[in-house]
Amino acid sequence: MKRMLALALAMLLALGCCAAFAEAEPITLNVIIAQYGPNTENWFLGNGMDGTNFVAKFEEANPDIKLNLEVVSWNDLDTVVSTRISNNSAPDILNNDNFSEYVVDGLLLPVSDYCTDELFADFFPSFIEQSIMDDVCWAVPDLASARALYVNTDILAEVGIEVPTTWAELEDACQAIVDFYNGDVYPWGIDMTTDEGQAAFSYYVWNNDGGFLDADGNLVVNSDKNVEAIEYAIGLYNKGFTNPNPATQTRYDLQDMFGAGKLAMIIAPNQLPSYLKDKSYEVNFATAALPVNEGAAPGATGVMDRIMAFKNDAYPDQAARNEAIGKFLSFFYAPENYVGWVSMEGFLPAVNSSVAALVESDPSFQAWLDVLDSCKFYPTANPKWDVARQGVIEVEQQALTGGDVKALLDDLQAKIDG
Amino acid sequence: MNTIPIRHKWEPYVWLLPSILLMSIFVVFPIGIVFKLSMSEISKAGVVGAWNNFANFRAAFRDPAFGTVMQNTAVWVVSVVGLSTLLGFVTAMALNAEFRGRRVARSIVVFPWATSLVIQASVWNYIIKGEYGNLNNVLLNLGIIKSAVNWRATYQIEFAWECGVGIFVTIPFVAFTVLAGLQSIDNAYYEAATVDGAGFWRKLWNVTIPLVKPSLTVCTVLNIIYVFNSFPIIYTITKGAPANKTDTMVTLLYMRAFYDNQKGPATAMSVIGFAILCVCAGVYMMVTMRKEEQ
Repeated sequence: MKRMLALALAMLLALGCCAAFAEAEPITLNVIIAQYGPNTENWFLGNGMDGTNFVAKFEEANPDIKLNLEVVSWNDLDTVVSTRISNNSAPDILNNDNFSEYVVDGLLLPVSDYCTDELFADFFPSFIEQSIMDDVCWAVPDLASARALYVNTDILAEVGIEVPTTWAELEDACQAIVDFYNGDVYPWGIDMTTDEGQAAFSYYVWNNDGGFLDADGNLVVNSDKNVEAIEYAIGLYNKGFTNPNPATQTRYDLQDMFGAGKLAMIIAPNQLPSYLKDKSYEVNFATAALPVNEGAAPGATGVMDRIMAFKNDAYPDQAARNEAIGKFLSFFYAPENYVGWVSMEGFLPAVNSSVAALVESDPSFQAWLDVLDSCKFYPTANPKWDVARQGVIEVEQQALTGGDVKALLDDLQAKIDG
Repeated sequence: MNTIPIRHKWEPYVWLLPSILLMSIFVVFPIGIVFKLSMSEISKAGVVGAWNNFANFRAAFRDPAFGTVMQNTAVWVVSVVGLSTLLGFVTAMALNAEFRGRRVARSIVVFPWATSLVIQASVWNYIIKGEYGNLNNVLLNLGIIKSAVNWRATYQIEFAWECGVGIFVTIPFVAFTVLAGLQSIDNAYYEAATVDGAGFWRKLWNVTIPLVKPSLTVCTVLNIIYVFNSFPIIYTITKGAPANKTDTMVTLLYMRAFYDNQKGPATAMSVIGFAILCVCAGVYMMVTMRKEEQ
């Protein structure tokens, strides 16, 4: 009997040890980060973060958490994530631009479950607003970029024209460039490809008092202002003022043409100077606000990406998991890490705590931060945004081949409402 | 003594087992999954739901681009398979003739086939680029043109370029398959035909083509399948733009699945494509085999 009791006690002890051992096992977080540029992977996994990498530094500071971090290219990101979701192996943390489809399927954790109050208060409020659906914040911004007009100052000086500020001035400038160079230089760059056609849409509608939403926040793309704006943009193409193939020439093609001095004006993000430098283009340029239609309020285009956390109901200790996710975010956004990340990729920050350090390292940041203040963002919190995004690109491409803008936008609106 | 017939009976299956296993895991099983998905509701995020009464198929047929894309696919398959078969046959005849440097010529012809399609398509994309394309550079340097020409002025021209690239990369496959057939023809047939007074065309119609037909049949069936399913050329050069006007079935379903978040209709399209291919390849094989039997 005693022997049996001893055996039972020994087994219990062993089980207890196992349990204790199991508790001490580190939590593993599966993280997917989007590849912003050639340095992203090196910063997270190589030695691009001051001779070490983010994962090693994080695990050293948090020995109870292991990171299984992958850097995935933007082209594959949605495919990878949806395949994982279909196989019930969604990542714990995801860096992506869209989030609403995950909310609709009930896959995300509310930010309040894992983000500390201190960190949450650090985000720019106007950015946080873009990630709220049904009064719940589902994601936090990781960075942003803003778009501006870049002009080749040598071309403008040679032709003898000023930087256009209105649509009428833009047409005059384009005509002057066409006349002067006889077709050797394209005056105006338009990217209506599936890559970024929605950005082209926003450049014109937001500078004509139009937009994607009505006063009540509903997706409305066929307003008169929008029709007028897109007809104007297509008119620039029809008059021969733009690059010849807006449906297949991406922004990167246009940036190369701008760098090579074949394109006089282009709307591009704040990373364009570093892009031109990396590719050894020598071109003199200046930045300016996007031209607006006479009398309309100017609207700069901002683009923002996000970090979100997925639910994992099978995980035994939800509180510990949430805490681990919170630690990941706090570590990522700590100025000593985040400033390096944002400046390395040439983006704009999403948290207040890093602004001072960024402006100190590069004073030109201040001008962009001011632009960011007045930026408008895509309505990504709307679950039908993807229909609108794909739809406006299709409208633009149909219009380029002779389609009627009003009829096309009306059809798209019916599809969105349907 | 009795064991020998039993062994003989089972032996083929034992040898086939590895292939059957591989085919089942990597071909049959995924096809089954796609069939199941095509009849299920799939959310934008990728969550697979319940059976949805063929709603994905209805959505696929109602897709505004479906008609244009079916037409494009037909033009794409017929032009690429037809012209590459014709030109590949001529190339094979040329490579079968005896001339100095035949080996070098054969190696050169195989290059386009040995290079990855994405690389080929990207290279052609650079060649026909308007502003800094190689074609414009060469013609400008030679003084043939005065200013850069837009080689892709309309989507019809762009699609024609894509078909051209498709033909260019498919010729080597046809040429080498036909060449293998040509080399197996006994010279005695030609000698006999020559004695009977047959000229080049007569020998071509009555000796070469009938004897090469088995290789040509296999090659054409494989080509129909490859070309129908070909993705890299169109995706690299136009991505189906403008507004799906240069898409084929495969590029459209890719865009719908991974760009437009319409995974359900996209899986339905892939099932429709699979059915079309089965019918086309089946009919072609039946017709050619029946003719051979006759």
